[in-house]
Amino acid sequence: MCRIYAGLAWIIAAAVVVQAAAIAFAFGGVLNNVAEGGVVDKALLESGGAGGTGELGFWIHGIVGAGVIPLLALSLLIVSFFARAKGARLWAAITLGLVVLQVTLGFSITDMPFLGLIHGANAFAVVVSAVVAALLARRARRARASRATAEEATEDAVAA
Amino acid sequence: MPSRRDLVRCAVVGVAVATALGAGALAWSSTLLGEYSVMDMGGGGHGHAAHDEPGATGTGGAGASGTLTATGEVSVTSLAADPDRPADVRVELVARQQVIEVPGGHAVDGYTLNGTSPGPEIRARQGDLVEVEFVNESVSAGATLHWHGIDVPNAADGVAGITQDAVPVGGRHVYRFEAADAGTYWYHSHQVSHEQVKGGLLGAIVIDSAAPPAVVADVDVTALLHVYGGQHTLNGRVEDQHVAASPGETVRVRVINSDPGTAAVWSADTIRVLATDGHEVNAPTAVEGQRVLIPAGGRADVVVQAPPSGAVRLHVGGARSIEIGEPGASTQPARQPSRTLDLLAYGDPAPLGFEASSPDRSYDYVVARRFGIIDGRPGNFWTINGRLFPDVPMFHVREGEVVAMRIVNDSGEVHPMHLHGHHIAVLSRDGVAASGSPWIVDSLDVHPGESYEIAFVADNPGIWSDHCHTLPHAVDGLIAHVMYEGVTTPFTINGDAGNQPE
Repeated sequence: MCRIYAGLAWIIAAAVVVQAAAIAFAFGGVLNNVAEGGVVDKALLESGGAGGTGELGFWIHGIVGAGVIPLLALSLLIVSFFARAKGARLWAAITLGLVVLQVTLGFSITDMPFLGLIHGANAFAVVVSAVVAALLARRARRARASRATAEEATEDAVAA
Repeated sequence: MPSRRDLVRCAVVGVAVATALGAGALAWSSTLLGEYSVMDMGGGGHGHAAHDEPGATGTGGAGASGTLTATGEVSVTSLAADPDRPADVRVELVARQQVIEVPGGHAVDGYTLNGTSPGPEIRARQGDLVEVEFVNESVSAGATLHWHGIDVPNAADGVAGITQDAVPVGGRHVYRFEAADAGTYWYHSHQVSHEQVKGGLLGAIVIDSAAPPAVVADVDVTALLHVYGGQHTLNGRVEDQHVAASPGETVRVRVINSDPGTAAVWSADTIRVLATDGHEVNAPTAVEGQRVLIPAGGRADVVVQAPPSGAVRLHVGGARSIEIGEPGASTQPARQPSRTLDLLAYGDPAPLGFEASSPDRSYDYVVARRFGIIDGRPGNFWTINGRLFPDVPMFHVREGEVVAMRIVNDSGEVHPMHLHGHHIAVLSRDGVAASGSPWIVDSLDVHPGESYEIAFVADNPGIWSDHCHTLPHAVDGLIAHVMYEGVTTPFTINGDAGNQPE
């Protein structure tokens, strides 16, 4: 279970990197669109296509941010109850909490643009907490493995 | 070998997960709408009428129509224009699903009417009986025509699943209505409307005033805005338009916003707003250094005067403009003003024509957003009065009543609220009473945090959609209905006819 827990945590961290890349791609597309003479207005935003070449970036950011990452974070919390590692549940809960905050911020940016500052910074917090979760699971697994080896060695020694 | 404690822990978590999954599956299946009638909506009594008439049976959303007495019920299909009256204007519109050649741009997959998109502009005179025969040649999902902004009889409202079945391929449907109010309107499909309107199943309809209007323009042009596959068009072309006018001549530009987002209209020169959503502004004054915002689905008639020499540029939407003046003359684009014309205080006051201060019914329409499941589909959906579709209020009214509504936007995005079959008077915004000309609309932008008080006269019996015209928002639950007492519909949504109005 620790292996699955660590795997999920690493995927969450990687997905945040995908998010940063996708939104940069999308806004690159918007700037390129405008530079080529295009006009971005509410009509275009709502009809789709504001991102020009980078339109796929908005799509990825929406699907991964509002769908994939929250589901992964929820799975991490469920798996944490089976992972025998100290702090697994705590860090899974922190990760999920930060993800919920992140999604809420994301949906509120249109109305309150300053929240974008927190949205960007909070993304790093999600990465850090996911990496901490992954590392503590790895440490627990290694500790158990070395303990098992040590016990085996002791048994061997006793047998000898 | 796992310890006993581990086994117990696994069992407890397993039971908890199984219970959660079971409860989730139950909740999910309860959101699967399947076939339903709008008449079954609003059963929870969430649309509260604050000032119900004593003795009124329709206690403001307390009961679906099933609670009505069987006597005197009328079907939406019988709420039609006089069938014996001959038509004054007769048009046939043939819908096709095809590639649209967009002049000045690239071709896109979409829909046409009589081979073009936008479809032909229908022109009628106030009082005419308009008859449109709609033929669906190849729109596979079926299609309808809704007469946006015109107070048509309910049978002609064109909402699939409420006032008719979607017209299948090979089918036809006749729309008949009296063009009672002069003004600028448009028509569009109200079947899978978020797809079909975006794809161009739409056109302009202009009703000329029977009496000379207060401001008579020398030239009259329509400016229908639509985005086709990311291309901003003006009357179907990805290019600006030139309107020839002699110095001093006035040009009435009828701007129609068929897109799902707000459009800005502005000019470096003086303009005046003659009408909003087809209804004349009383004593419109000069607008300088301000933009006019038109909600999604809304219209604004703007008058511009041709200059002594050269041309005037009127920006319509973010990307297109109309140049008015000497043939061939051009002028530089102007920067969009950041100040917006406040229609709440534009023009001179005049009587509304009804008593809005003592309404017979008062309703709330509070828009917010939360995570949930609609039709088995999880998402971040719009709520009305705190409830998710289909558990949204039904606004019950009785013919002849004055209905007041408080529209509040507690979400983070603007919502262009559109009521079918009626025109509404804006009474106040955020507690500030309207101080200008009567501001009459059918599509009203309600921005985040804003609260509007509006009123209308229930003078057109039927079942009428009251929804957000950023059409994907309607798909995501931002739709309710005004239902007249004693009116029923035989049509259903998601049934054999495949009706999907949004």
